Amino acid sequence: PLKNTNICFHNLQELRHSASLATKVFIQRDYSEGTVCRFQTKFPSELDSRIERTLFEETVKTLNSYYAEAEMIGGQSYLEGCLACATAYIIFLCMETRYEKVLKKISGYIQEQNEKIYAPRGLLLTDPIERGMRVVSFFHGRLFTAQNLGCKCDEKSSRCF
Amino acid sequence: MPGFSSGGVGGGVGGPASAPPRPFRPSRYVPVSAATTFLVGSTTLFFCFTCPWLSEYFSSVIPIYNAVIFLFTLANFCMATFMDPGVFPRAEEDEDKEDDFRAPLYKTVEIKGIQVRMKWCSTCRFYRPPRCSHCSVCDNCVEDFDHHCPWVNNCIGRRNYRYFFLFLLSLTTHIVDVFGFGLVYILHHRQQLDTPHAGVTMAVMCVAGLFFVPVAGLTGFHIVLVARGRTTNEQVTGKFRGGVNPFTNGCLRNISHVLCSSQAPRYMGRWRGPQSVEVHPPFLRPPLTEAQLEAKVLDNGIQNDRHSTRSKSSLDQMESQSADAEPPPPPKPELRYPGLPRADTEESSLLTEAPPTPSMYKYRPAYSSPGRNHTALTHPNKMIRGESLDSPSTSILQSSHHPSYRSEPSSLDGATVVGGGVGARRGGGERGEGPGGPGGMTGGVSGGMSGYSLAGRSYTSYPSSLVLSTGGSHSSSLRSAHTAHNALATLQSEGTTDTSYKSLANQTPRNGSLSYDSLLTPSESPEFESVASAGAPLQGYTSPFLSAQIAQQREGQLLQGSASFSSPHRAYLRAVSPPPSSPPGPPETQHLLQHNQDSSRPPRASSHAPSSSSSSPRARSLEPPLKKVIGIETCCCLFVFVLICTTHLHVPLSLVHFLNIPLPLPTFPDGCPIRSTSRPGLTNHSTSKPGGGVKKVTGVGGTTYEISV
Repeated sequence: PLKNTNICFHNLQELRHSASLATKVFIQRDYSEGTVCRFQTKFPSELDSRIERTLFEETVKTLNSYYAEAEMIGGQSYLEGCLACATAYIIFLCMETRYEKVLKKISGYIQEQNEKIYAPRGLLLTDPIERGMRVVSFFHGRLFTAQNLGCKCDEKSSRCF
Repeated sequence: MPGFSSGGVGGGVGGPASAPPRPFRPSRYVPVSAATTFLVGSTTLFFCFTCPWLSEYFSSVIPIYNAVIFLFTLANFCMATFMDPGVFPRAEEDEDKEDDFRAPLYKTVEIKGIQVRMKWCSTCRFYRPPRCSHCSVCDNCVEDFDHHCPWVNNCIGRRNYRYFFLFLLSLTTHIVDVFGFGLVYILHHRQQLDTPHAGVTMAVMCVAGLFFVPVAGLTGFHIVLVARGRTTNEQVTGKFRGGVNPFTNGCLRNISHVLCSSQAPRYMGRWRGPQSVEVHPPFLRPPLTEAQLEAKVLDNGIQNDRHSTRSKSSLDQMESQSADAEPPPPPKPELRYPGLPRADTEESSLLTEAPPTPSMYKYRPAYSSPGRNHTALTHPNKMIRGESLDSPSTSILQSSHHPSYRSEPSSLDGATVVGGGVGARRGGGERGEGPGGPGGMTGGVSGGMSGYSLAGRSYTSYPSSLVLSTGGSHSSSLRSAHTAHNALATLQSEGTTDTSYKSLANQTPRNGSLSYDSLLTPSESPEFESVASAGAPLQGYTSPFLSAQIAQQREGQLLQGSASFSSPHRAYLRAVSPPPSSPPGPPETQHLLQHNQDSSRPPRASSHAPSSSSSSPRARSLEPPLKKVIGIETCCCLFVFVLICTTHLHVPLSLVHFLNIPLPLPTFPDGCPIRSTSRPGLTNHSTSKPGGGVKKVTGVGGTTYEISV
């Protein structure tokens, strides 16, 4: 559906600068189990009217499970480490680490959640990796189209001028 | 390919707000160049001059083995040097909205049942996650900050700690190999020592032998750290002294976490793929007038790209590794939305006024004048930066405070309420936790305060995680704390460090600059802690991560022979803060080593009698010469030996007294020639004993030792 609309794909970073009037809700990290990456599943009150509690909790729980999978110390991470040592870390040039693979899965998941669940409710979920995995942020309120911002978009580079 | 982080390269394409490019400082590259030169140069000489004979005489496996070890060392060295340690990108303006400047400087979080404090980082503008620290050399917050290593010219953090650790291990092995095989060569060529080959081999052996001591010491130190699940930062600042480490999962798990976990991702310089945005419904942003744009620019001091420059430029004005700049506090929420009509009129009034900050008065009780500019109180050369930063920041403070903000009780009520709210909630609501609750909090806080007032600027490096008495609540907002206001009368008089506003977070960042320099300038934390513990013996100094109910007990147990990490460290401080007649420098460490190894000697405190009550001025006055005289990491390694010795030899109590550890000790083992009279809160009270041969020695905190001479 998005391909039919005449907006360019804005880098979320740029949008954030412009979207100063969109309200943002931040979900903080849950440090109760140490420094492993988990986010609080407590439902923020600002989203009360906008989304069902269960959907929100499910999203956050799924994210938490992805991060737990990424940080799991198991056979694969061990093998990766040994291989890296054996090749004097040159393998990092060619191979994607386990964490990065999971991060890609996470972005895909977030994108999908945004399309299916959050955007129809006027919300936008951002990927926590953009903020150093300290918070998950929800934008809500009203956002902008390219036309409204009055900028010209180069669709190839996905940048705005 | 791991991200390059040395030299201050900023974020990549589409990256988040990153550190600005820093001025080129050639002095930063001296240690790393020296290390590289020695490593590569010596090994090359070894391969050229020693290995050919070895491969002929024994087998060719030897050079191959050495080459493998050398390559591994070099690879880990490069990874430790060039890899991003886990730098957090600067938070964007929108994140500040929740935490306005009236919010406290600290936020507490419970980790495995232990309260940990997260400090607001004024440069990066977020509450630092646990174990994160801000490195003033790199001007970044680093995740799982270990230390800033000058030999690799990089911070060591979550992402590259493994490589650093492996580098140390492999370097130690490599040095041992080179030295060993060189020795074999020399022993077989005893009659041909005048050949150039033998000469070069001997030179290489000397270099190897010279570097072996510090490197092996450092390696041992880090092995202990990894096994205990601590970072250098935590170890050196004494966060777990006598307490519980919430970040440890057991020795095996700690080791596997360091070595076997997957490579953590970097946060800086990430490519962000294009994200589509659904619009429901379209919205026209109101046009911003020029004045509103101005206001927006000024409201949090500076825009993203400028704010870090400002903090950095202020950093330039002072020496590296000293206190950070005074970045402006987080702005008022209302100012963020220039569309609101009020913003205009407020801004104009903001910019014209520049009131001082009375809340500094409470923050630093040693400085009693409320009317002075707060920057003047902190550091003489901070005045310059403070003034330049003053108008936006203080005007912001002014605007958001009520007119009564000048009167300190009202502003400080807020401050004290927050921390006290926590305490009161804990005290009131959690009686079941144990008797030490409010007392522990009080003790910790007052200990902290006394430390701050005594140690000048050392409050910046107060461990950013302080144990408050147990309680599960997150006390992050002033708003929630107002209910506990009246419970905090007791705290007000002592002042609270952890309830200072974020707006006073100018003093933050000393704690981040943890190269091994801080081992020699430990005045900031461990010294302050020793002072605090000595200065507030009755209140029960709580070391971080310590549940309050055992805080009081720990105080008494702290030095009873249990070779805590701190005792040799404090002993070191003590040993180097003697009467002026003792020369500083290596003789100090000799003293220290002698004392630790020769416990059977009768204690002769005469040469180690500090007569003043506080160790901090003395220790601090000796820092600069010490720094110049002793190599920092060499010192660390010697210190490691001491640590290992005392850890395993169970330093007897009498030796501890001999070294004049300034803690009151209620009991003594019989037969000890030193008797101590504990006089809490007093100093230098001498009751002259009749009869000759008794010397009175007063330690910090008023503990008096009478030593028969």
